[in-house]
Amino acid sequence: MPFSVTQVLLGINGILVIGYFALIAVVMSYAALTVEFSQSVRSDEAVVAALETQYLNKVAEVSTTNFTALGYTKPSAVAYVQAKSGTALR
Amino acid sequence: MRSQFRFRLRLILVLLLLVAVTIFVRLYFLQIIRGDDYSQKADRQFASSGSGLFDRGSIYYTLQDGTLISAATLETGFLVAINPQTIENPEMVYRAIAAVASSTLSYDDFLVAAAKKSQVYIEVAHHLSDAGGKSLAAQKIPGVQVLRERWRVYPGGDLAAQSIGIVSYGNGNTLAGQTGLEAEYDSVLSRSSDALYKNFFAELFSNVGDVLVNARDAHEGDVITTIEPQVQTRLNEDLAKVNKQYSSKESGGIIMDPATGAIIAFATYPSYDANDRTGVNPKLLGNPLVEHVYEFGSIMKPLTMAAGLDAGVITPTTTYNDVGCIHVDQSTICNWDLKGRGVIPMQQILSQSLNVGASWIATKLGPDKFRSYFTNLFGQKTGIDLPAEGRALLGNLKSPREVEYDTASFGQGIAETPVQMIRALGALANGGVMVQPHLVSAIRLNSGITRTLDWSATQHVFSKEAAREVSTMLTHVFDNELAHGADKIPTTSVAVKTGTAQLTNDTGGYHKDRFLHSFMGYFPSYAPRFIILLYTNDPKGVEYSSETLTSTYIDLVHFLIDYYNITPDRNLSIQ
Repeated sequence: MPFSVTQVLLGINGILVIGYFALIAVVMSYAALTVEFSQSVRSDEAVVAALETQYLNKVAEVSTTNFTALGYTKPSAVAYVQAKSGTALR
Repeated sequence: MRSQFRFRLRLILVLLLLVAVTIFVRLYFLQIIRGDDYSQKADRQFASSGSGLFDRGSIYYTLQDGTLISAATLETGFLVAINPQTIENPEMVYRAIAAVASSTLSYDDFLVAAAKKSQVYIEVAHHLSDAGGKSLAAQKIPGVQVLRERWRVYPGGDLAAQSIGIVSYGNGNTLAGQTGLEAEYDSVLSRSSDALYKNFFAELFSNVGDVLVNARDAHEGDVITTIEPQVQTRLNEDLAKVNKQYSSKESGGIIMDPATGAIIAFATYPSYDANDRTGVNPKLLGNPLVEHVYEFGSIMKPLTMAAGLDAGVITPTTTYNDVGCIHVDQSTICNWDLKGRGVIPMQQILSQSLNVGASWIATKLGPDKFRSYFTNLFGQKTGIDLPAEGRALLGNLKSPREVEYDTASFGQGIAETPVQMIRALGALANGGVMVQPHLVSAIRLNSGITRTLDWSATQHVFSKEAAREVSTMLTHVFDNELAHGADKIPTTSVAVKTGTAQLTNDTGGYHKDRFLHSFMGYFPSYAPRFIILLYTNDPKGVEYSSETLTSTYIDLVHFLIDYYNITPDRNLSIQ
């Protein structure tokens, strides 16, 4: 079969066209995944923020608790004692 | 051959006709049958891409174990916009939106918006939850668009609100940090609009450099503060109690590591809820701890004492004759109780908070040395990483009148910001060296690298010996004088000084019965982990700061000792 420049060029052209469409597909998938992942990270952060809000509210609640109103009384006397080692306490 | 050619031509013609008919039928369905649907879809897409989603870095508190807790972050949900031209039944639409939107959606406002038939896009509700937004969108109500929205949230609410700051439109049309750390670190926190949607291949072809080394990733990131949320909460609550109990105009407090300048808590009362600023007085958005100056009163005396010791004009055993009142430049300076003490040593100046004694040290120092020490302490801004830092008012130290130096020696006539005051007092706790107060320890860059900020600049103001001698005196005050030693902690040494300053009046003089109460202290006295500064402005029905702020200070000391498990520095004999 004789060598045909036209057929070689057509072949190259075909490969380039396929490559072009493949590239577009990759770019679009990449962009879609980037957006999706970013939004998913932000959504997760929002969930964490909601938990953090609960945590900080609890900290504030503990700080403002009036233990006397709950029936607890202040100790009548406070004595400081020397701390003993963990071994001695066993 | 010719007939075969004609046949092929007709075949192509038929195919073309078929394609044309198919396209025509498809267009008929798109434009006529489902035209409204697609029109609304297109509308939504246009609005969504036109507004874009707000993006911004986070700010974090740091728990004592290093865990990060969000101080400012983002929440994602939905907003609702209406097209008044296509709304059919405004009342029904209102009920549908109100069912998922917050109760703040006013019926009257909605009807006014729906009546604006010349407009096609009016936002009527914001911050809808994910579930609420999706359920409203599923109803496909004509003229109602449900669009993605992202907004700033502050999980701590009013916790360190004035330090964290706010984001708003300000004078421009883009959201930006306006106060606090939001403003100070705006270039780190703000995000380029295309950051979320950047296209790798497009960037590869247009800007190879940006793909390999992204300049934005080198400066955009999250801000990590030194604020400890549990300590901040405690300080918040304690200040609120004091302020309410004595009906003060305002109260403030700072807790700092005197060795590094890291601020652990930075609170003022009243403050505001950063998530709901409706009706908030704009004055509250500023931060009095860095912007306002106060005459702090007697908590200045330890600095006067340290200056005298450092200059060598006094020693701890030096004595002077305290006569109760002295006359200087046609003014009279008296002790708080107008009584003289006779010949007494330096310790008594701090133990009994004697104005005459502090003035005596100032006189021994002379104007030049006194000015030099106090200019070193307060002459420059601290460089704290918050906007609008104020300058101390030290004009009296330029005067040739001796009385100005005498009054400055006990904290009247010169005014400083609270952050300047704690930095200066921190020198006593840190071997005579002033550090740089700061709220941010590091920036966590988008590239994944955490960049620790350099706050190592220091200023030597007193000798180590002078600082230690003053610490010994202040520890004596806590152990023996404050509440007659009732609060002494056998396991931990604590240094304190109280201050009660007369407030200035409108005529340039001082009120006789209105005061600023201040309180400073650090512990353990000789290797301090924390220094605390408290003040309450214009408390009612009480005269001395030992009455207003002692219990607050003691509560904070015990809380910090427990929370940080601070090692005792005093030997306790077994009883």
